[in-house]
Amino acid sequence: MKPRLVTASIGAAGLLGLLLVPLEGCTDLDETPPSLITSSNFFRNEAEVLAGLAGVYAQLRSTAPEGTIYDANEVSSDEIVVPIRGSDWNDNGQWIDLHNQTWSPTSAATTNFFNGAWNNAYTGVARANLFLSAVQPATFANKASVVAEGRALRAFYYYILMDMFGGVPIVTTTDIAQRPRSTRHELFTFIESELIAARDSGLPATRSQSDNGRFTQGGADAILANMYVNAGVFTKEGAGSGGISASSYNSCSGVAVAAGPDACLAADSAATRLMNSPYYRLADSFPQSFRADNSSSPENIFVVKFIAADGLGLDVIMSGLHYNQFSPTPWNGFATLAQTYNSFDAADKRRQVVLIGPQSNVLTGVPVTDRSGAPLVFTDSITNILSATEGEGPRIYKWPADAAHIGPNNGNDYAWFRLGEMYLIKAEVENELGHTATALQLLNALRNRPGAAVAAPLAAVDRSVILNERLFELLGEGKRRQDLIRFGGYTARTDSASALRNGKGCIAGPTPQSPCTGWTHSTADYRVLFPIPQSQIDANAQLKQNPGY
Amino acid sequence: MYVRQRTAIRRSTSHPAEGRRMQLVRHLVPALVAGLFWAVPLGGQEATGAVAGKVVDATTQQPLANVEVALAGTPHRELTRPDGSFVLNGVPAGPYRLRATRIGYGSQFQEIAVTAGGTTTAQVSLAPAAAILEPVVVTGYGTQRREAITGSVSTVNADAANVGVITNVDQMIQGRAAGVEITQNSGEPGAGAQILIRGGSSVSAKNEPLYVIDGVPINNVSTEPQASGSVGDPSLPRNPLNLLNPSDIASITLLKDASATAIYGSRASNGVVLIETKKGQVGGGGPSFEYDTYASTQSPARKLDLLSGTEYATFVRQQVTAGNIDPARLGGLGIVVRTGPNPGDTTRVISNTNWENELTRSSVSHSQNLAFTGGSEDTRYRASVNYAKQEGVTLSSGLERIQGRLTATHSDLNNRLRIGLNVTTSHINNTYLAYENQGGFEGGVFENMASFNPTLPVTVTDSTGTRYYELPNQTSSRNPVALANQLINIGQTTRTLANGNAEFDVAPGLTAKLTVGLDKANGVRQEYYPNSNPLGQQLGGGLARQATLDNTTQTLQTVLNYQRQFGSGNSVDFVGGYEYSKFQDDTIIGQGKGFFTDAFSFNNLGGAVTPLTNSYAEEWRLVSFFTRTNVGLKDRFFVTGVLRYDGSSTFAPGNKWALFPALSGSWHLSQEEFMRGTPFSDLRLRLGWGLQGNPGVGPYTSLITLAANTGATYPFGDQPHGGVLANSNGNKDLKWEQTSQVDGAVDFGLFNNRLSGSVEYYHKNTKDLLLEANVSQPALQPTQLQNIGRLTGHGLEATVDAVLVSHPGLVWRAGLVFAAERNKVVELNAPCTTDKVTGAQLCPSIDTGPISGPGQSNAPSERILPGYPLGTFFGPVFLGVDQTGRQVFFCTAASTNCANGRTTDGKGPAAADYQVIGNANPDFTLGFHSQVNWKRFDLSVLIRAAVGQDVFNNTALIYSTKNQARQGKNFLRPALTDPTGILETAVYSSRWVEGASFVRLQNITIGYDLDVPWLTRSARSARLYASADNLVLITGYSGLDPEVFSGTGLAVRGIDYLTYPRPRTITGGLKLVF
Repeated sequence: MKPRLVTASIGAAGLLGLLLVPLEGCTDLDETPPSLITSSNFFRNEAEVLAGLAGVYAQLRSTAPEGTIYDANEVSSDEIVVPIRGSDWNDNGQWIDLHNQTWSPTSAATTNFFNGAWNNAYTGVARANLFLSAVQPATFANKASVVAEGRALRAFYYYILMDMFGGVPIVTTTDIAQRPRSTRHELFTFIESELIAARDSGLPATRSQSDNGRFTQGGADAILANMYVNAGVFTKEGAGSGGISASSYNSCSGVAVAAGPDACLAADSAATRLMNSPYYRLADSFPQSFRADNSSSPENIFVVKFIAADGLGLDVIMSGLHYNQFSPTPWNGFATLAQTYNSFDAADKRRQVVLIGPQSNVLTGVPVTDRSGAPLVFTDSITNILSATEGEGPRIYKWPADAAHIGPNNGNDYAWFRLGEMYLIKAEVENELGHTATALQLLNALRNRPGAAVAAPLAAVDRSVILNERLFELLGEGKRRQDLIRFGGYTARTDSASALRNGKGCIAGPTPQSPCTGWTHSTADYRVLFPIPQSQIDANAQLKQNPGY
Repeated sequence: MYVRQRTAIRRSTSHPAEGRRMQLVRHLVPALVAGLFWAVPLGGQEATGAVAGKVVDATTQQPLANVEVALAGTPHRELTRPDGSFVLNGVPAGPYRLRATRIGYGSQFQEIAVTAGGTTTAQVSLAPAAAILEPVVVTGYGTQRREAITGSVSTVNADAANVGVITNVDQMIQGRAAGVEITQNSGEPGAGAQILIRGGSSVSAKNEPLYVIDGVPINNVSTEPQASGSVGDPSLPRNPLNLLNPSDIASITLLKDASATAIYGSRASNGVVLIETKKGQVGGGGPSFEYDTYASTQSPARKLDLLSGTEYATFVRQQVTAGNIDPARLGGLGIVVRTGPNPGDTTRVISNTNWENELTRSSVSHSQNLAFTGGSEDTRYRASVNYAKQEGVTLSSGLERIQGRLTATHSDLNNRLRIGLNVTTSHINNTYLAYENQGGFEGGVFENMASFNPTLPVTVTDSTGTRYYELPNQTSSRNPVALANQLINIGQTTRTLANGNAEFDVAPGLTAKLTVGLDKANGVRQEYYPNSNPLGQQLGGGLARQATLDNTTQTLQTVLNYQRQFGSGNSVDFVGGYEYSKFQDDTIIGQGKGFFTDAFSFNNLGGAVTPLTNSYAEEWRLVSFFTRTNVGLKDRFFVTGVLRYDGSSTFAPGNKWALFPALSGSWHLSQEEFMRGTPFSDLRLRLGWGLQGNPGVGPYTSLITLAANTGATYPFGDQPHGGVLANSNGNKDLKWEQTSQVDGAVDFGLFNNRLSGSVEYYHKNTKDLLLEANVSQPALQPTQLQNIGRLTGHGLEATVDAVLVSHPGLVWRAGLVFAAERNKVVELNAPCTTDKVTGAQLCPSIDTGPISGPGQSNAPSERILPGYPLGTFFGPVFLGVDQTGRQVFFCTAASTNCANGRTTDGKGPAAADYQVIGNANPDFTLGFHSQVNWKRFDLSVLIRAAVGQDVFNNTALIYSTKNQARQGKNFLRPALTDPTGILETAVYSSRWVEGASFVRLQNITIGYDLDVPWLTRSARSARLYASADNLVLITGYSGLDPEVFSGTGLAVRGIDYLTYPRPRTITGGLKLVF
């Protein structure tokens, strides 16, 4: 009998196990991530809301140097070229494609830079949309101000898309869907109204030092001023008759915007508000707005904040400095063009942001050698951008290394808008309005900074003087493409009559004997807008390509 | 438990379809259980007897161990002991058919009669036969008679495959199973491998088979945390299966087609590898001991051909004279050494350093293995310990393993209850070559090996002592020997694999089995980049990091098995069961930068100026119900039906469950009357169809989740403010990738199975591919994981095994495996369209196969393109080099700078001129193995070959460029005589895509059986052997090795970039059984 009992009890126990265990397991396949958050149970108090807001701000880093937006704007202009150096920097031909403006909707520059820029700016939009919809039902202190910040940030991300691609789908909800493009004019109007609403219904006039970098009314005004001066470009759908002129100045004069019938006047008043604001003034010295301690500069209006911490710092110096000038090893890529460097007046102190001649370690000051052990010298020109040497080309070094840097992370803020540009915008629109004396006075005020003059006063002003002054003041600040398009010189960057040399199509330097400085660029007018990357059209069949591509 | 159940049910009913399915399942289980209750009373007492006997080799008359002796149609089975003897107890009285099977021998049947209380004697002699059609085979959730199997199943003889230096089961399969392509990642000890069974079935999800050890599926993920990505790409992970000692493996079975694998449902689309470990045995003379040991020496099989210091110096001087290199570079040749007391007393010394020789070595490995087994009739055990140490053939790399295994079985209640326990625990100490390759433009160890100036010395000695020579004031070119020796990168894993099972014969033919498995791995990664190395300085004054990864998998299985024979040769074999698995992983990372001393290494992270810690955790669950029914009619027709119903937590609600069916059948032609008298001793036709899945998604993928990390942090003021960002778009429609497969085969045996084999054809179709697709913006992330696209594959596999010679004293067996596989991408995220203007076919495609090396950012080498296979090389077509040394490429008239179809400006062709320039898939692969036993000698050979595949020689692209010298870097010697100009930069093109067919003598082993009766007693053996791995490689490929690691990117195949060299290994070993 005993074995039978054992059999029975084992059988019973086994059956009990078989019966219960499956049911227990099968009924629970729900997921609860232990180290992640789901948005449904978040944004309930101000601390959580600010964490969400920080995420929307964090995407600003992708708009600063060492990002595809900056690269696309700078390297496609005459401010920066990235030559192939030995076996370095070919990178699928993307840099040459970008600089030579040979891009197509599927070429190397597009798949990396334009597609990256599109995704980066739109990710900012998506984060803002998610944030704004999630905080909708929540109640917390300063809600109006925080919502205004979210809207202003979203408007800024749309501003970048408008500048680079023209009209794009305007989306303010969180669902992923295929949508058609708006016109560029509609997008302009949307951004304008969002910025005005944010400015007038929530953004503070200024921030305490412990909150510096967050959006203010001044930030909204600065973007608006820039949009208005560019209204002759930003409200047009493309190059050609009735559209953007690729070869002559595109004035804001007479362009109607929501703020008034003349965008130039609107630009004037937005810039004037900032210049009269008690919260901004020109910095005492030109470098103060770029140094690692530039968060104290009274000139910076809307910045991307950087601090010397892993993943949170500015690493723009890595792309241009030679391998041996900084630690960790920089990349020795980005250079400026000889013609750009040489267009500065030698006495202009703003030219000092360019490194040229014998070089040293930027922090220690100790002279450095190139890889072979010979002293490192940066030349003014590049003989052949397809096969350059280590030391060729001057380097823009506007944001100097932070002594407290953590790896490549430096604490310099990157100003998208600073008061200096407001002087230039006001001067430009005053000139358009026929007030040349005011324009001249504004330019000279900028040259004669209160603390230290950077250049001798100008005697006269015209559009080309203004374009040059913008180059001298804003070199490397991501504005050159926009300026060249507005002034009608972006797609026709031929700089010299004796362009062809050695059959290579390189551009002669300042004298006929000088080595080449770059390549001829006389490309089609439609390139005032970047192409919509084909991969984006594949993902959204409703997107129509920009004309010409 | 009850409360949880109710809560969960409520949740599940929120999805109606799923609720209905769950209801079905809830009814199914009690029904199964009710069946059990009904069955219990049938298990009454019967009069029993025993069968005893001995099995010998028909040619040598030597006793044969490990022969399975079974009574057909009953659960009674037993393995013979080392003396060939066996006893089957508790057999109900009656007539039986006794079957004896062993790998390598033809099956033998004997009709016997068992009487109550008596012992029936049976003497069996087995004749050698070809390997394939023999034994009872381990299939999913149980075993099956070979003749009843209707799916595609291959077995590998574990003993024959365990030759040379084998660290894991993957190496045992290589070249021995048709349609299984295994590529070791590199020549590193214990390197990971890429395994493709029938070419794989997925683009972005895993293509790795499911491993099942002793019936428990293994979560085969890396058990060590990844190395820091602070510099370059982290070293590749080692093989997680290194935990199993190959000497403990009894058998390996590969399930290849859908009808065989469907029982594993959602995880089966890439095939299943079933591993059974050795179990305890009792012998005539008490416990038996087994000791085996080997020692081996390894050296790199091939080397890159780099310029010597003298050649490099000569080249640089020539080019300076020619005006192509800056004269300043002359200062970079050699070093200036002080020769006297005055500052001017110096001389320039040019070294002739072969960095490759400095970095590689002849290494030594050894292994000690001790096992003993014994017990009583009812309780048996086997215990083994293994210690293995392998040095890598490059500096600072190796593997050390201590492993123990205990297995015990017990039977009770007249063998109606069987309990088993298997515990394996291993500790592996992996020493990695830190900063191995892929170091961007600065270069890791191998990149610097190829490019570091050969006129410089390894070390210099001056008044301060001897130290590694580093370029002064340089941080970007680094002494590779210093990198290898000074950087520390260690991975340690302790992993325990335990499972317990209880099997109970409820009624005649009805068995219930419960299995509980636990797989617990704890991995630690320890790294230190010291200040003494320029790299460590650059990372912020020394960087130390420790990371731990805990992986836990819990598995529970309940299986019911019913086997019954009816009449003559009719049978039913039913398996039904339930499986529950829970997977958890936790990671903790601690890191510190900025150390004032190197003395702490990675052991005092608190001593850092900037410490950093991080942690994360994941969990997912898989729940399955499965049945398999095999019906045999007249021993001729067999039909198998499989249903598996899987639920995974990783999918979106509503898509968590899926059903995987399969149906297959076979016709045993050789049993038919009309086949009598033909030479076919065995002939079968098989046909099968099935559906399998590939879960392929990580936990939480269907949800929009917010992560708090550095990417979301932003400074408010000058202080970082923690933030959150959505790290996925989520996808509530996410579901399984599904592969359907049809398989048809002929299995044959000729001349009493002296020659046997099979020929199989399969066709498979994967739909709902899991692909990261671009989504319409704005979106939280640029891409979303979606079920889009289709992939097809088909192939032919053939296996032939033969006993070529069988005389007393001489047996020669040989086998050949052949596989040809074709795959094709049918569709990606959208159908192809035709361009209205040009008429060109426009298909969405995915660029992949990133090119490595300086100046190659964002450059892809492969394209996933509808109409083409995975592993399609896509790029410019190289036409030659013009008089000025420029590379000329094919172009179309529409391109700028194009004349007569040739580029003219040296810029390379436009993207529009790129074409398909190669295919990384072989036309076919072959494996040949042969074993000769002559008197006391044995000789075995394994040869592998692959024909027709292309490999992109990324190493040559970068290091065959003379332009390197303009940056002060070395290059490969063939470039010296190449007409390409020194100003040419490295451009990917068809020039670097080479044919990579090869034949490799993978292993050759010669052994001798010693007769040492004073040590081994009678019938026990001692064997002495010598073995060589990778002795001969015949290939036209110009790189190091045509078998290449192909990166971890999307479906990347066939890219060769500076991998760890594959060694040539010579081994001597001894095996004693006493």
